[in-house]
Amino acid sequence: MRRRDFFRTLAACAVLPCPSVLRAKPLFRLALTPVFLDNDAVVIERLREALSQGMGREIDLVQRRTYQEITGALLDGSVDAAWLCGYPFLQHRGQLSLLGVPVWRGQPRYQSYLITSAGDQATGLEDLRGGMHAFSDPDSNSGFLVTASDLARMGETPDSFFARTIFTWGHRNVVRAVAGGLVRSGSVDGYVWQALAAVEPGLVARTRIVSQSEWLGFPPFAARSDRMADPAVTTLQRALLGMDRMPAGRKALDLLFLDGIAEPDIRLFDGIAARMAELGQAG
Amino acid sequence: MRHGTISHIPITLRVALAMGGLMIVLGMVASQQVLRSLSRLHDDRLREIARLHVEGLSVALGPLVLHKDVWEVYDTLDRARGASDGQRMLFTVVADDRNRVLAATDPLRAPVDSDATPFSKDASDLSALTASGGEPQVRVRAPLRVAERTVGQIVTEIDVGDLVAEREQVSLYLLLANAGATALLAFAGYFLVARMLKPVTVLAQHMDNVGGAPSRIPEAEIPKSDTELARLLRTFNAMTGAIDARAEAEKRLAERERFVSLGRLSSSLAHEINNPLGGLLNSVDTIRTFANRPEVVQKSVALLERGLVHLKDVSRAILDENRLDRVGLPLRPMDFDDLKLLFEPEAARKGQYLDWQVRADGADLASLPAAPVRQIVLNLLLNASAAAPEDGCIRLSVAPNDGGVELTITDNGRGLSTQDLDRLMSSAPVAPGGGVGLRLVHDLVAGLNGRIRHDRDDGRTSVTVFLPRAAAS
Repeated sequence: MRRRDFFRTLAACAVLPCPSVLRAKPLFRLALTPVFLDNDAVVIERLREALSQGMGREIDLVQRRTYQEITGALLDGSVDAAWLCGYPFLQHRGQLSLLGVPVWRGQPRYQSYLITSAGDQATGLEDLRGGMHAFSDPDSNSGFLVTASDLARMGETPDSFFARTIFTWGHRNVVRAVAGGLVRSGSVDGYVWQALAAVEPGLVARTRIVSQSEWLGFPPFAARSDRMADPAVTTLQRALLGMDRMPAGRKALDLLFLDGIAEPDIRLFDGIAARMAELGQAG
Repeated sequence: MRHGTISHIPITLRVALAMGGLMIVLGMVASQQVLRSLSRLHDDRLREIARLHVEGLSVALGPLVLHKDVWEVYDTLDRARGASDGQRMLFTVVADDRNRVLAATDPLRAPVDSDATPFSKDASDLSALTASGGEPQVRVRAPLRVAERTVGQIVTEIDVGDLVAEREQVSLYLLLANAGATALLAFAGYFLVARMLKPVTVLAQHMDNVGGAPSRIPEAEIPKSDTELARLLRTFNAMTGAIDARAEAEKRLAERERFVSLGRLSSSLAHEINNPLGGLLNSVDTIRTFANRPEVVQKSVALLERGLVHLKDVSRAILDENRLDRVGLPLRPMDFDDLKLLFEPEAARKGQYLDWQVRADGADLASLPAAPVRQIVLNLLLNASAAAPEDGCIRLSVAPNDGGVELTITDNGRGLSTQDLDRLMSSAPVAPGGGVGLRLVHDLVAGLNGRIRHDRDDGRTSVTVFLPRAAAS
């Protein structure tokens, strides 16, 4: 705590010469979808520290159980910005604007994995018919949309294809459900699966990748379009884009297995938009 | 048989064993009571553990089961198991109101939507839970209630291995301690009882001493403190003295019986000595009268010599019969010649015919002692002579037979009375009155390991004595 206070003061002094002005500002609220290790308090804390330093002000990281709650909070102004999934971003494309897209393994893209338990013999989605399947969240691209759109191409829906589907409200939970044998297969964020392989190898080793999707736009940071000119929002964007150049930001990025955060490019999300279209949804 | 075996065990050991047995029974009853209490305590503890476990899960799971939220139920169970890793919860399955599996800690064992009956049917209710089966795990079921409504049930396997092990260990220690205490009490009881009953042991030893005869207890062995037992032992000593005195009297009586036999013969023997004396005196007169006729003197001297030799034989036989140092001498055919010499005058006096048949030689007789056999034969002959009428017939037969010698004395008298037969044939106490001659025969024959047979046939009485050859000879 003492160290955090020190950095906070240091950062505040660097950005604004008057600490009293800093204290007067309202708390900036950034919401996080449970894309990552939402149970890992250390990662969350490091990210909060890095962004507080970058923005030169106290920020609050808000977590909710579902993507829908986060999107709703962003839309109704309860939070100032959010780390969203590409899918809900596109669902509310008209109201939201991109702030930055994380770069993972050299590119701002990731994949969706279809996984089963390590001993399962399935070689593709078709082999998993009639089993139980775990999705992460109905508003998740990698944890729902990819598999649902693949099934739509086969003329199936999740309910018709699988014996039963469950939502686990978190990618790590999908891995747990598959590894524990609760379900036969699951749709999971490839970035989360790879990160977990490093953090919890024992858990991930009990699962196996059956198939991987094409590369799709990494979950971006977004804010309401009408607040894009807000100084707090622009400060956040600067802090995000400059994270890899600050020690605290570097540390947070390392814990998140990310290289940095890149300038947004809406075309990154064309793949997701195409899948949404296949599912009969407008962008 | 069993009774016999038990009664062979010394009374001190028997009492100690009985005491030990009672202690063991007491120990078993006490152990049973303690084990039962222990079992009850264990069961209470187990029920409390199970209740806390199940109730904790029920509170968390109730609403999730109500909504049939498979993931949340699984997540809750998985986290609960993670929290109690290596602890009691081994396996838990949660079923909905139709007893279909919603989720389990091990979904491979209890897949979602499968029937939960195989898990719930063997499970016990919380109130009936017990660890007494010795199983290291128990399965318990409990309903899941939300707002007074049963929405499903939870079945969980709980590890009670530590409780079972503890129970076994405590039981073992308890049994060992009880066995030790029982053994200690039994041994203490044995020593106490053995000490208290020592005079009884002494009494038993002296009652059945070497040789089978009771022996006197030395005064030093009579306890001073225990007046009752001391009185008992002194009374025993007094009785032993009486028995000794009686045996002594009987011995003296038997000794005297020999003189009685001779006494009965004395009159005949006096005649036997007196009769030749007249002839011998005549010979002396003849020698004196015809001292100058050598052929007459020669003849008279020969007559004198024959008469004196006969007198010498008779007196030697009488002396032999009286001599006490003959004990241990072997029987010889000559002993029967002596008997004939002693008895013949008596038979002659009564005009009785004597049939004397000794067909046994020295080798047949040598293994038998002379004194008792002579006494047996003389007593039986005197008895036969007394029973036989004037001009009657008395027969003695001595013959080797079947590894021994058979003596048969026969007379044509009136036969033996019942009392006489009792004296001769049995060891029953002698009725007062009457002689002891026949009883002496019985005792002497018994002492030589022989046997007596009595026959009464065609006016003749036969007493047959069989004496086996002594093994050592």
